[in-house]
Amino acid sequence: MKRRTTQERPYWRDSAREYGFHFHTMYGEPYWDECAYYQFTLTQIENDIEDPTAEIHQMCLEVVSRVVSDEQLLRRFQIPEAHWDYIRNSWQQRDESLYARLDLAYNGEGPAKLYENNADTPTSLYETGFWQWLWLEDKIQAGEFPQHTDQFNSLQDKIVDRFYELAIQHPGEILHFSCCKDTEEDRGTVQYLEDCANEAGIHTRFVYVEDIGHGEGDLFTDLDDQVITWMFKLYPWEFMLREEFGTLLQASNTCWLEPPWKAILSNKALLPLLWQLWPNHPNLLPAYFEDQLPGSDLKDYVKKPIFAREGANVSIHVDGEEIINSGGPYGEEGFIYQAYHPLPKHDDNYTLIGSWLVNDKPAGISVREDKQLITQDLSRYVPHIILE
Amino acid sequence: MSDSPPKRSRHINLRHMRKSGRNFHLKPLAAALSAVTLLGCGSSHEAMVYRDVSDCIQDNPHLEEQCEKAYQRAQAESLNSGPKYASERDCNFDFGRDNCVAHTGPQGQNWFIPAMAGFMFARLLDDGYYRNGFGYGYSPLYTSYSRYSPHYGKWSTVDGKLYGSRRYGSIKVSGDAFKPKPKVVRTMSRGGFGSKVAAKSSWGGSSSRSGWGG
Repeated sequence: MKRRTTQERPYWRDSAREYGFHFHTMYGEPYWDECAYYQFTLTQIENDIEDPTAEIHQMCLEVVSRVVSDEQLLRRFQIPEAHWDYIRNSWQQRDESLYARLDLAYNGEGPAKLYENNADTPTSLYETGFWQWLWLEDKIQAGEFPQHTDQFNSLQDKIVDRFYELAIQHPGEILHFSCCKDTEEDRGTVQYLEDCANEAGIHTRFVYVEDIGHGEGDLFTDLDDQVITWMFKLYPWEFMLREEFGTLLQASNTCWLEPPWKAILSNKALLPLLWQLWPNHPNLLPAYFEDQLPGSDLKDYVKKPIFAREGANVSIHVDGEEIINSGGPYGEEGFIYQAYHPLPKHDDNYTLIGSWLVNDKPAGISVREDKQLITQDLSRYVPHIILE
Repeated sequence: MSDSPPKRSRHINLRHMRKSGRNFHLKPLAAALSAVTLLGCGSSHEAMVYRDVSDCIQDNPHLEEQCEKAYQRAQAESLNSGPKYASERDCNFDFGRDNCVAHTGPQGQNWFIPAMAGFMFARLLDDGYYRNGFGYGYSPLYTSYSRYSPHYGKWSTVDGKLYGSRRYGSIKVSGDAFKPKPKVVRTMSRGGFGSKVAAKSSWGGSSSRSGWGG
């Protein structure tokens, strides 16, 4: 796995405007960074990322199965008791899922290690499925890479195909899309998904999360009072289950992407459970709940909140000392402890691989870089290629 | 180089991805529907307007089942998605005297709704797009006898679109006439999701977050 520098496409910002990519620079700092790229071999991709991604996903499904039928585990996973039946039913019905992103530490040699599973609201979808794809197309056309240069990225194809499959289960039904106000990035991601759904022939409508209404008959409505029967939300389950309209979820009969059972995977309690069920698995890092810490032999560790996003409230402890703390508003539901396995470094950049799944199929990767050890929302996005 | 298939998406259509100008939603099946135009402009889809199911069957003796289905579904769409009034007077104001019927809603509400004066029936060349499942498009039609109404003497549908003067027989409409009409209910409150966001985003001080994903 190599990191190489390269020239920016001189027109890339114009291209971004043309294709509606408006959040390539955030708070004045570059987010999309095409001054560098990563180069993988096909063997690295297939053996070290693609196959383990499929396997880890199956392991995660097994965890869901165990948790929904165990009250003690449901409590460990901080699922509010009022929603246990709702989540259990969602799993037993195998409510359909669209996507997920596993975060992996991988340096080109040896097994990739799972940091966490972004199973509910993974981000960087547009950059991955389309924008880095376009970058490679342009580079090949410009003669900068050989014709056969590839990329581990069939994300857009798979998402559209998945929408075709889902549409069959929802004939003639409108698919609503939702995200929060005041975030250009989220609106961009959701627009991209709407476009993919439209490509598959699905009629879509958009409503902001804050505007969702409580309609007569305990139904959810959009701003035109149209009933929401099927909805994609870029908004976390752990918030919804604890908010005022959470009480309407069961009665509403709304079908959600991602489904309610994803609430079990999108929290870091997943990590100690995985380790418990598959100790010493090559792709897992040792992980424990707080009360399991004394019994473990964990020395250097990373403390992560059960619920948090974008690397917030993560602290790293080496030789008994806290060496870094990313700070933030999360942590009230408790923490887990994962063995410290630092990200690989290329020059002065730490590299994190995001490995995507569409339903249960590995679909591609994104690469994030940061000068700091903890990857956060301002970490840069860097493209990659597969070339021997 | 290995013989395995490429790992990249193969079906990305750059034309569909462009955003400059109007938001461009080209539906790939649109080409199969002979005269459906984009964005609902123009009237170019052949349809028939019938008073009731027996007129439809009389006109299409070999399509008895399809006429029945279309008629029933048009009635259902009228109830689910059509205008509803709390008072008969308000309904009459829009649709004319003796043109409204009483109906009890699923929660026992007392509604007045306009009578279904006819329905549209059309062969759909590619049913997949609308997924009606039986190859024919349908829509309930209302008319108004109230001079105060812009619908006076015309056909209108559940979403208030007008389809020309009120007569039975052939009609030309846009493909939009048959797209799924969702259920509409009264909304009692909003804002029951999203409060956690406000609480978390006050930390950090920046006015606009990068997003709520992970």
